[in-house]
Amino acid sequence: MSGFFSRLSALFGLKKKSVKVIMVGLNNSGKSTIVSLLKSDGDKNSEIVPTVGLNIEHFRYQQVLFTMFDMSGQGKHRYLWERYYKNCDGIIFVIDSSDRLRLAVAKEELNLLLKHPDLSNRKIPILFLANKMDVREALSSVKIANAFGLEKIKDKPWHIFATSALTGEGLQNGIEWFTEQLSQGDVYT
Amino acid sequence: MAIKRDKKEEEDGGNMFQNLDKTSVLQDARTFNDTPVNPRKCTPILTKILFLLNQGEQLGTTEATEAFFAMTKLFQSKNPVLRRMVYLGIKELSNLAEDVIIVTSSLTKDMTGKEDLYRAAAIRALCSITDATMLQTIERYMKQAIVDKNPSVASAALVSSLHMSKTAGDVVKRWVNEAQEALNSDNVMVQYHALGLLYHIRKTDRLAVNKLVARLTSDRSNRLKSPFAFCMLIRIACKQLEKDGGDYSDSPLFGFVEACLRHKNETVTYEAAAAMVNLRNTTARQVSPAVSVLQLFCNSSKPALRFAAVRTLNKVAMTHPPVVTSCNLDLENLITDPNRSIATLAITTLLKTGAESAVDRLMKQIASFVSEISDEFKIVVVQAIRALCLKFPRKHNTLMTFLSAMLRDEGGLEYKASIADTIITIIEDNPDAKEIGLAHLCEFIEDCEHVSLAVRILHLLGKEGPKTIQPSRYIRFIYNRVILEIAVIRAAAVSALAQFGSLCPDLLPNILVLLARCQMDTDDEVRDRATYYHYILSLQEKGLIFNYIVDPMQICLVTLEKSLAQQVQEKSSTKFDLKSVPPAAVVTMTEDTAKEPVPEGSISTVPAKAPLIQSTVSSYAEKLQNVPGLQSIPGVLFHVSEPVELTESETEYFVTCTKLAFPNHLVLQFECKNTLSDQLLENVRVQVEASEGYRVVKEISIPRLPYNETHNAYVILQFPDQLALTVTNFGATLRFIVKDCDPTTGIPDADDGYDDDYMLEDVEISISDQIEKISMDKEAFDRAWETAIEDGFTESEDTFNLPGMGSLEQAVTKVVKFLSLEPTGLTRIADRSSVMLCMPGMFRGGIEVLIRAKLAVSNNGVSMQFTVKSAHPEVAELICAAVG
Repeated sequence: MSGFFSRLSALFGLKKKSVKVIMVGLNNSGKSTIVSLLKSDGDKNSEIVPTVGLNIEHFRYQQVLFTMFDMSGQGKHRYLWERYYKNCDGIIFVIDSSDRLRLAVAKEELNLLLKHPDLSNRKIPILFLANKMDVREALSSVKIANAFGLEKIKDKPWHIFATSALTGEGLQNGIEWFTEQLSQGDVYT
Repeated sequence: MAIKRDKKEEEDGGNMFQNLDKTSVLQDARTFNDTPVNPRKCTPILTKILFLLNQGEQLGTTEATEAFFAMTKLFQSKNPVLRRMVYLGIKELSNLAEDVIIVTSSLTKDMTGKEDLYRAAAIRALCSITDATMLQTIERYMKQAIVDKNPSVASAALVSSLHMSKTAGDVVKRWVNEAQEALNSDNVMVQYHALGLLYHIRKTDRLAVNKLVARLTSDRSNRLKSPFAFCMLIRIACKQLEKDGGDYSDSPLFGFVEACLRHKNETVTYEAAAAMVNLRNTTARQVSPAVSVLQLFCNSSKPALRFAAVRTLNKVAMTHPPVVTSCNLDLENLITDPNRSIATLAITTLLKTGAESAVDRLMKQIASFVSEISDEFKIVVVQAIRALCLKFPRKHNTLMTFLSAMLRDEGGLEYKASIADTIITIIEDNPDAKEIGLAHLCEFIEDCEHVSLAVRILHLLGKEGPKTIQPSRYIRFIYNRVILEIAVIRAAAVSALAQFGSLCPDLLPNILVLLARCQMDTDDEVRDRATYYHYILSLQEKGLIFNYIVDPMQICLVTLEKSLAQQVQEKSSTKFDLKSVPPAAVVTMTEDTAKEPVPEGSISTVPAKAPLIQSTVSSYAEKLQNVPGLQSIPGVLFHVSEPVELTESETEYFVTCTKLAFPNHLVLQFECKNTLSDQLLENVRVQVEASEGYRVVKEISIPRLPYNETHNAYVILQFPDQLALTVTNFGATLRFIVKDCDPTTGIPDADDGYDDDYMLEDVEISISDQIEKISMDKEAFDRAWETAIEDGFTESEDTFNLPGMGSLEQAVTKVVKFLSLEPTGLTRIADRSSVMLCMPGMFRGGIEVLIRAKLAVSNNGVSMQFTVKSAHPEVAELICAAVG
């Protein structure tokens, strides 16, 4: 039903009102911090602790109401991500750009995600956030894109932004691109 | 209005959830995935899932997990009604679904969030999905919640902590300080729950509990406000008092309970009074203030208080008669109470304590309303009558008439059984009442819809009837059952008839006619019995009749069946030896069985009861069948000894030994427990140093023994041929490979461990490990004793002096315990100077043993003449020697 209506509204050029987005990435890459920054409604948790399972948060950006599934990045919980792939409208993949050691791990997780049957045939936008750019030895977003082989992703719109969840730098641009993608694409195909 | 609603319900088909189908409901649960979430649609679906679960519908792991994950999506919605259902759903599914920790962070957020509506429920749900390993992540939040200002949050956290302490006691113990603080809360519930948690944490530590109670009772004026917490404190105090024992008069705890009698709140006052009269070892003066409180309550205008008081008095009527007597006047007033429950309790209390002269009057009172009260209270009345009969045997006529009238009324099995039990008790206790009682019971079985009761009564008639003056009058009643009843009762009736035939020779011809008729019965069991009894009775041989009808042999039926099956399978040409089957376990008279209609009835011909006696021997035999390497032992398991501890408790490794005797082999079963959380033991075995003559056949080790688990290791030994060598001691050592491991996960740090051993106490093999008790009554023993020599038994005799025995009783217990046999026909020995113990037994290999010990008090201790008769001379000698 809702798919039909949204298609209808897309036809009339109306913007989508509400989207479901899942946010994944290795542990300690800054997912929960980004979410708390995006919420920007004043009640930010001063202290971010490792997420166990998932957190569900809402925030509004421009005309779009985001429902964010902030997944736990801990190794033992990563297999739970796939349970939420099915009905999501977009994916935010957060990378700790200062953690060179585990880039390979992150890449492996990304490959698993892209190959998952629930996602492989859908044209949903993926936003890569190369987080922790404020750290001195952080890699640049270009280097990370190369390391991940992002150019091979042909069937989904994607973009990578260097961000800092502590200062909020770069986040605005990323979300703006993401929102645009979400409102354009007919994600229900 | 009501009619209208009824109509509507009819149209709806009554319960809207009645015809729910699991599959379709779970199908509906997919709606949870829609965006945006529709609370109106989702809430009823969740309700349906909960309904199904509570109706006992089983969800598979996949189904449950799928439903659970769909439910997690509902956290998107902020609708409070839906959220509440989600919490409930999480709690219900937390045991069924996998990966339930997925909601941990979501719940933590709700529990610490601003929305008070969510918080308490979120805590409860969170604790249901958290296990010991995950608890650390939420520990901080739990501590905060316990001291939260909001009482519902604090209560939820405290109660959840109590639940969690079952799985993660160590973590919860760290929250004592927070619980302490919660104890100071203004809210009555929080105080109560905080005290509950504090006590639970400390309850194994007696000193800590004492301290807790002492601190709370000392300055009670400003600390505890909650009446519930007070009640709890009273209970704790009383538990401590009972444990400490001794004199209560100078105990501060007793002083506290007494002070609570003057508390403003009635609940507290009642709790204190009830606790005081229930305490053991109190003097009359100590309980008198409590009694006056109860007395006051008896006259209260509130029915609840009257009921509580009279129920308490009823319970303690037998233990503290003086307490109740002082309330007699008030109880008299309550007899006419409009509330029937109160009246019943009042009358029965009076019956328990009253004088003989009052009985008739009170019985008349009860009769006036007995039909109006429920079965449960009728049983209370019956029990009061039972006590009364034992107290005033002369009143049995009035009471018996009353009971038989009650028997004829409508009532459930439990009620009828309690009446029958009471009559049976009266018959046994009072020989004068026997004839009347049996007559009443005969009348009752004429029209009895409870099969088990009829069978019991028929069995009793068979036992008691022949001993009456005119046995023939019962035959008609019994034979009527053969004509009119169902097969089970007919079979019991046939057995009862046979009893008459064997014990009353002048009735025998008639019984034979009746039994011959029973041989034409349609039911197999009845026919078999009739044929069996008819054949034996018609042989007219005293010994046969006695051995096979009056006192049939005691044999463990389960084992007999197994050995016979084995015999058939092996097709061996040897004759089956009945003596290789261990005798049935002797049913010792515990409190439960003492209530049975036939207390002397370990000799039971009632078929319904026989399968219930599943002895420890056969249950062990079954267990051993499942242990690889133990099936090969020839012969059947013969004797199981009591487990012996080979280590001190509270040591690193805890080992107990159970000795299992086979005809030619001895199996030592070592139950080993590892109490070190940082060690994993592998290849655990017990090495015994077998003494001369014994040969170790096989050792069975435990491959893996993780922390806090108990597994069995076995050693199989062959008994020495020379019997004198069988009584001995073995040195024993526990040998194993230790692997150090992580205490929380139990995963070993390294792959290779090191060998270690641990000395155990010696295993003692005594004579009692080789003898199984058999039950025999005194007459049978005497007969066997007399004929023993003719049957080729050898006798061995010796006289001993048992020094250091203070009393005869002590000596008897010692001897019985040493042989672990069952003395027959042992009467009270407290005030006698000599006693004779008769102990029949069976030595392994089916050798019958008869032991007679005459004990007498002499100037220096107790002297004993010990005589053993056995079919095997060596056995007799061995037992005699072992006693010395």
